[in-house]
Amino acid sequence: MKSIKPALRLSGTDAYNHDDVKGFLMIGERTNVAGSPRFAKLVRAGDLEEAVEVARQQVANGANVIDICFDDGLIDGKAMMCRYLDLLQGEPDVAKVPIMVDSSKWEILEEGLKHLQGKGIVNSISLKEGEELFKNNAKHIMKYGAAVVVMAFDEKGQAATYDEKISICERAYKILVDEVGFNPNDIIFDPNILTVATGIEEHNNYALDFINATRWIKENLPGAKVSGGVSNISFSFRGNNKVREAMHSAFLYHATKAGMDMGIVNAGMLEVYDEIPKDLLKCVEDVLLNKREDSTERLLDLAESYKGVGGKKLAEDLSWREEAVEKRLEYALLKGIDRFIDEDTEEARQKYGRPLKVIEGPLMDGMGVVGDLFGAGKMFLPQVVKSARVMKKAVAWLFPYMEAEKAENLEGDIAAILEKNPAMSRDDALKLAERGNSAGRFLIATVKGDVHDIGKNIVGVVLSCNGFEVTDMGVMVSCDKILDRATEMGSDVIGLSGLITPSLDEMVHVAKEMERRGFTVPLLIGGATTSAAHTAIKIAEHYSGPVVHVLDASRSVPVTTSLLSKDGREGFVKELLEKQQKARENFLGGPKKETLTIEQAREAAPKFDWESYTAPVPSFTGTKTVESEIGDLVDYIDWTPFFHAWELRGVWDREKKILKTKNEAGAAEAKKLHDEALEYLEKLVGENRLQARGIYGFFPAKSDGDDITVFNDDGSERTKFHTIRQQLKKTSGKPNVALSDWVSPINNDYIGGFVVGIHGADEYAKELDAANDPYGAIMVKAIADRLAEAFTEKLHHQARIDWSYEAEGELTKAALIHEKYQGIRPAPGYPSQPDHTEKPILFELLGATDATGVSLTESCAMHPGAAVCGLYFSHPESHYFALSELQKDQVEDYAKRKGMTLTEAEKWLGPWLGYATT
Amino acid sequence: MAQADNTAELEKSLAERILVLDGAMGTTIRTYDLDEAAARGERFAKNEKDVLNNGDILSLTQPDVIGDIHKCFYEAGSDICETNTFSATGIAQSEFFVEDPREKGGRKDPEFFQKILEDDFLNELAWEMNVEGSKLARKMADDVGSDTGVKRYVAGAIGPLTVSLSNSPDAEDAAFRVVTFDQVLEAYRMQVRGLIEGGCDILMIETIFDSLNAKAAAVAVQEVFDEDGVKLPVIISAAVGLGGETMISAQKVEALWNAFAHVKPLAIGLNCSLGPDLMKPFLAELSEIAETFVSAYPNAGLPNPLAPTGFDLEPSHMKDFMRNFAEDGLINFAGGCCGNTPEHIRAIAEGVRGVTPRRLPK
Repeated sequence: MKSIKPALRLSGTDAYNHDDVKGFLMIGERTNVAGSPRFAKLVRAGDLEEAVEVARQQVANGANVIDICFDDGLIDGKAMMCRYLDLLQGEPDVAKVPIMVDSSKWEILEEGLKHLQGKGIVNSISLKEGEELFKNNAKHIMKYGAAVVVMAFDEKGQAATYDEKISICERAYKILVDEVGFNPNDIIFDPNILTVATGIEEHNNYALDFINATRWIKENLPGAKVSGGVSNISFSFRGNNKVREAMHSAFLYHATKAGMDMGIVNAGMLEVYDEIPKDLLKCVEDVLLNKREDSTERLLDLAESYKGVGGKKLAEDLSWREEAVEKRLEYALLKGIDRFIDEDTEEARQKYGRPLKVIEGPLMDGMGVVGDLFGAGKMFLPQVVKSARVMKKAVAWLFPYMEAEKAENLEGDIAAILEKNPAMSRDDALKLAERGNSAGRFLIATVKGDVHDIGKNIVGVVLSCNGFEVTDMGVMVSCDKILDRATEMGSDVIGLSGLITPSLDEMVHVAKEMERRGFTVPLLIGGATTSAAHTAIKIAEHYSGPVVHVLDASRSVPVTTSLLSKDGREGFVKELLEKQQKARENFLGGPKKETLTIEQAREAAPKFDWESYTAPVPSFTGTKTVESEIGDLVDYIDWTPFFHAWELRGVWDREKKILKTKNEAGAAEAKKLHDEALEYLEKLVGENRLQARGIYGFFPAKSDGDDITVFNDDGSERTKFHTIRQQLKKTSGKPNVALSDWVSPINNDYIGGFVVGIHGADEYAKELDAANDPYGAIMVKAIADRLAEAFTEKLHHQARIDWSYEAEGELTKAALIHEKYQGIRPAPGYPSQPDHTEKPILFELLGATDATGVSLTESCAMHPGAAVCGLYFSHPESHYFALSELQKDQVEDYAKRKGMTLTEAEKWLGPWLGYATT
Repeated sequence: MAQADNTAELEKSLAERILVLDGAMGTTIRTYDLDEAAARGERFAKNEKDVLNNGDILSLTQPDVIGDIHKCFYEAGSDICETNTFSATGIAQSEFFVEDPREKGGRKDPEFFQKILEDDFLNELAWEMNVEGSKLARKMADDVGSDTGVKRYVAGAIGPLTVSLSNSPDAEDAAFRVVTFDQVLEAYRMQVRGLIEGGCDILMIETIFDSLNAKAAAVAVQEVFDEDGVKLPVIISAAVGLGGETMISAQKVEALWNAFAHVKPLAIGLNCSLGPDLMKPFLAELSEIAETFVSAYPNAGLPNPLAPTGFDLEPSHMKDFMRNFAEDGLINFAGGCCGNTPEHIRAIAEGVRGVTPRRLPK
């Protein structure tokens, strides 16, 4: 079983666990107004930006925790604690460390707790004002989940001596652990580091008392930690940094050996113990460890010689400053460092000539890297926002230059506008010119029905930082309100956000409305459920302006910049459209082929000289019902599809009775199957299990555009078949055909139709299934299917003879099977006319259900399953063809011709459509 | 009425098997094809804004649907269902009932939310949603529990709010917050009380994308416990991004555990945001360090607007993933977030059945 060691477990955005093995925990003191006069000055002056920089430096210099204190008469400590901690949360490099909230005022500590997402430390509470308050405060801290510093104070005051220190700490520990239930690992004692070498004799043992008390605490109060404000020890040597640093290092050297866990220090100002000059070290240790009566005097004497010697300065790593300006800008954006941004931006401006080139060049490249890292989970949102805030500074630096450039160009722009629009007033032209020059107005909103706000806010902030004028309309905003406002403010880009699935539909709606209302500005789509593919397939097609999916906040900037860039826009949009086209093609399967409008397709229809054409005349009009002996159909069977039903690929050679296939085992299997099938057939015929019933007929007809009108013998209109035209652009010069092309539009022509069915197979298969013979059941159904096709072939043969353009015996059965005859018999639901709803028209015309027992289900499937229906065409040029990539214009027209809604037509033609439906 | 503290009983079960949570409320509601009128009912018929996507309101206007969803999940094998109260706070509800000042160029700030917190209508609504939401799940838990002989529990869902205490929406001022900690705390306090009143067994602070929001919820829970003399088990669950960070406040999982260990939660875990595959490394990390039980209820993959359900993974996929989590000894609770239907939960329950649950580190 795993075991977890006891530790003081702290966190900011990162965890920091301190246990007995881990080295000294450094608490940065420079963000404490008492620890840093400079910090105090910055805060008093309200320069919080610099004050935040101090925190950054602390962490950069190795502080594991930073102590934050505003106990200063000139600062509103509570308000400042709130503001400063909130600022630090936006500073990812600082926010990663745990924070120590430091104050002597409880209300400030309380406020601090409300601004720490991680587990921090409260510094401090004590028994100074009695047990009750102590316990209450401890309970409160526990509720917020922070560790606590307990000062060695009690009702009588500060613990100075060893005995006082340990007795107060022991008492506090017992109350916290036994009564309050505080986690002992979260208790940090500060047994008071008091100033030594003050010249007062009682102070001489202060350092040793602290060190000894530390040892006692660590030995006797399990889990408890010890901390202290280290710089106090050397307060007598203010102004002599060299000596102070030596004292701090030596003190920590001994105190940590005794078990001191952490201390409030200037992380950048600790002398290495071994590097303290020997004479100085000797004097310092004499003072700290109270070794000699005169140690104070001796140190004071020696200190004189170190006066004015600069203390240790931890050199900041600024090697990145040596890189090229582009790299420096990228580094600043990545790390969120704005200290050098003005000078770097200026350098880039001079290098690139124009301010806009800097933004669209190195700055945007830097943001691109930020986006990549965020996309890879290597940077988090607060870092993206921080990068944007650095960007803001760069843009601010460039702003006056851009303004100056605009002012320079303004007159020229106005002149150009007036030249184009001579009727326009100068004022209007000025406004227009100014509009054209603004960085870009961005309207952003979370769509109607969706309340998700925060992600959209982040996009807004990031865009604002990049110089765009962002209007955030909030959440749950209706389409009309968005578009009204967009018009009113002259928005250059509209951004829609949404997190839940229903928002996707609302986005489609907004896109449609933008199209309807004549918008042309780019539309940006973002939010957790959105995707580039969905935007391309479902949204983009409804709006003719650019519709761009934005993956995350970091990507909003390059996208918007490109869209609004005079030079960059065209290329960006072209690439976007290509990508979206590809996405649609992938979605619909295969690359999209070029198509024609329905008008163009009709123009490309085959041209026949109908004037001189004589249509074959059938020997009868009306219908004939036919029944066939099953045995008579066997010769008409095309066996190839039968083997396909058994997953055997190849072509059946009816003469040699073998399946021509590369798969030898398959050929043998086919042979076996064929033999079995013949046995079954024999049985079916012998037992008279199947009946073949059919009907066919001929009717006067004329084509009418893509429809075929059927007439009664008296010339009155009887019904109409609807056909569909190929819309793929053909480079071969072949025509774009529809079935109606093979019926004359002017002469007396005819159309035929048929329905055949093989009855009894379904019932028989069911019996076999029930008798646990699923193989037999499949066999019967497969044979019945073949018989239906054979009957169809036989009937078509007869029909062509009846139609008087083919003589009896003119064609062999093999030729029949290979369809080497004139005329076709296309079936509704198949490639030449995929719409199954043409079947009811045919059935009705023939009276097929009564005559053959074949009926249609609601979804236009035939029952029994072994049935075939179709139209007959006699034209010598008629042939089978396939439809694909049908375009909306034809489907709309088709729906109208059929009296269907578009949605209905799209439903029936779904797989043949060449566009996405909504 | 407050339920008794079931911690000991739950711990006993958790020592024996992996407990099954439920699937998604939001995306499952959508399968009922309710329309705006149905969501409004008579009570909110005249509301200015649409409420169809205000899932929590359905506890009041379509209680049968919500009850049915709970029932389906319990019957599919959930030991614990979450109440339909993800956004049942005055703050979150205000989005559906109060005009967004930004529509007219204003802004949301603590002053705005102070009015929201003092709004009687919103307070009563939030209270009722929590009480009724809790009761609906309670009834189904008791019914299915007694029908099957397997005790079922109700977890009061405490969602993340639509505001963030860690993020500034103001480009000019990184310290600006739309709402204060105290305001969030107050809203959560009411939610916690309402959930307890309605009879939930567990309180579940979930889909945490901002740890400071969650901290306010955790403080609210502890305060209500102290003040009302109640104690219930608590589960803490975060929604993390690709780097394992709470999405808005960027807190990594170990930092999160450190920040919430003091609540002594029954479980800590991850939910939402990532699908199971992307969630796994962070779950493994949490499982390694957490001195309590670990829960996981990922989305059914990443959102895919082109998939029929909006999410990629089917029940069998979720089953395989959760079984894998279980076999690797990472989890004590298994369920699903967005995109997980009762069918997914049935599969997940099957997947983790009989697998030895993760042992608590000592």
